[in-house]
Amino acid sequence: MPGIPREDRLYYYSLVPFAYIILGALALLLAAIIWKSTPALEEYGISLYVTNKWKPLEDRPGEYGLLAAIYGTLASTVIAVALALPLSLSLVVAVEELVPGRIREALVFMSDVAAGLPTVVFGLWGIDVLVPFLRDHVMSPLHERLGFIPLFSCRPLSGASLLAAGILLAFMITPFMFALVREAYRMIPAHLREAAVSVSAAWYQYVKLMLGMIKPAIVAALLLGFGRAAGETVAVSLVVGNSFSLTACLFAPAYTISALIANQFGNAAYYPLMPEVLFAGGLLLLLIGLALNWVGVSMMDRVRSLAA
Amino acid sequence: MPPDRREVLDYAVKGLVLALATLALLPVVHLIGEAVVRGGGVILEAGVKFFTETPPPPGGRVYGILTSLVGTLELAAISAAIGIPVAFMAALLAVEFPSSLPGRLVRILSRTLLEVPTVIVGMFVFVALVEPMGTSSILAGAVALSLVMLPYVATYVESALRSVPHSYKEAGYAIGMTRAQVAFRVIVPIARRGIATGFLLGLAKALGETAPLLFTLGRARNALNLNPLGPGDAIPLLIYDYAMAPYENMREVAWGAALVLIIILLALQIVARFTAKEVRI
Repeated sequence: MPGIPREDRLYYYSLVPFAYIILGALALLLAAIIWKSTPALEEYGISLYVTNKWKPLEDRPGEYGLLAAIYGTLASTVIAVALALPLSLSLVVAVEELVPGRIREALVFMSDVAAGLPTVVFGLWGIDVLVPFLRDHVMSPLHERLGFIPLFSCRPLSGASLLAAGILLAFMITPFMFALVREAYRMIPAHLREAAVSVSAAWYQYVKLMLGMIKPAIVAALLLGFGRAAGETVAVSLVVGNSFSLTACLFAPAYTISALIANQFGNAAYYPLMPEVLFAGGLLLLLIGLALNWVGVSMMDRVRSLAA
Repeated sequence: MPPDRREVLDYAVKGLVLALATLALLPVVHLIGEAVVRGGGVILEAGVKFFTETPPPPGGRVYGILTSLVGTLELAAISAAIGIPVAFMAALLAVEFPSSLPGRLVRILSRTLLEVPTVIVGMFVFVALVEPMGTSSILAGAVALSLVMLPYVATYVESALRSVPHSYKEAGYAIGMTRAQVAFRVIVPIARRGIATGFLLGLAKALGETAPLLFTLGRARNALNLNPLGPGDAIPLLIYDYAMAPYENMREVAWGAALVLIIILLALQIVARFTAKEVRI
């Protein structure tokens, strides 16, 4: 390679293979998922993604349509992001503007701990604590009083449902979104901060101005949080109920793509084309995740370079 | 004088913000409390047997997590041995030759890999290793975890290496060192704590993962297997399976295992942070 002195070339060329190891692993991963999905896409075409069917057969390809799982992924993720946004923004404002130093450190530490907790532990807490709590204190009262609204129209059974998955995911992505938004909030230069103080007649107006300045970072955190929630597997599969229902009711057990894979992939080999169908679901998940994250990360990069 | 409308609104907004901030962290506090009380109770009751016996059959009394604890430690060793050298060298390449094509590739690729849902990493390793080998194995699980760990370690190490001031490198060049000598005798020693932090945080991230292990590791739970080419078990996998079990004793074991996992991962993270704090030349 030109531009590298001769005595450094050996060094350079001994490092280069490691970049290609990563490239190779990633290329193999993409190739394997696409290669394995192809038979299912050829057999079922687009109906695989727009119909809701799950009839596995042992002697020939069954009937498969992933719509319920796709809907469940989107619905639980939208609930999660919609709840995590006010939670994480409040945490940023509380930490940066309201609480004294000691408590601030404690709150940030707790959020770091939360971000580092294994997702399966969140799942265990979800199934043993959150789901029964939501069933008895949120879902049942809402159903009894406001059952005429379609969202609340079904009686909660175990409590494992889209709503439970969405709320658990919200708690899981809040520390992550908090870290991204806080990073941007702290980058607001002092002169803009002072300007915001000087034109604000009240504290809430000042906070509104400050948050307005980091809107791109908030959008980036939303997208990255969405991507993270959509790909989350084990915690969701423990609380979502694992059922192919396609209803507007938030209290009904449902499925997500990743929970479907977690539950069915292990035994899928007994049913012709079922593994391929699950790979096709994985492919969709991968594409959604990569697209969202690509946009989110480049927005976050722009925020960082603007501040720098 | 009636209170100013803005003042009232200010108090209301402040109260709401504090309430929501509390709600955001409440689950973590409750989760850890529950793990300490419930899991700690189980461990105290089982005593040292919790760590020296294999998991229980359905119903009956509480047994231990020996197989999955050993499995997690073995996975840690093997996945670190695979993932860390690749991540470290790739990060060095990205910092030392940032404008070269491979150098730029490292950053783009590790960012992409970071965002691949981990369950898909598991499916990939199933196709790439489990099917050809004809069996799930500790090795396959470790490869899946090393793919999860790699982008985290690469990113942390990269920022640690980047934080070394340019003047130190120039001092090295001034006395006639080559770039490789500057890298390994100046940059790496100065950044060593940051690098170690990156290793530990990446390892902690990987060891908490369940989804990459679902189809790769097997569930060799009742007898201890140390051979990396045979199936094994891990604590997160045990928690996942037992969380769904309808038997009370299995759920108890799940909570005990959760406490053990939380302690291992918190210890790794706390050591990592203290290591990082001392980075002064």
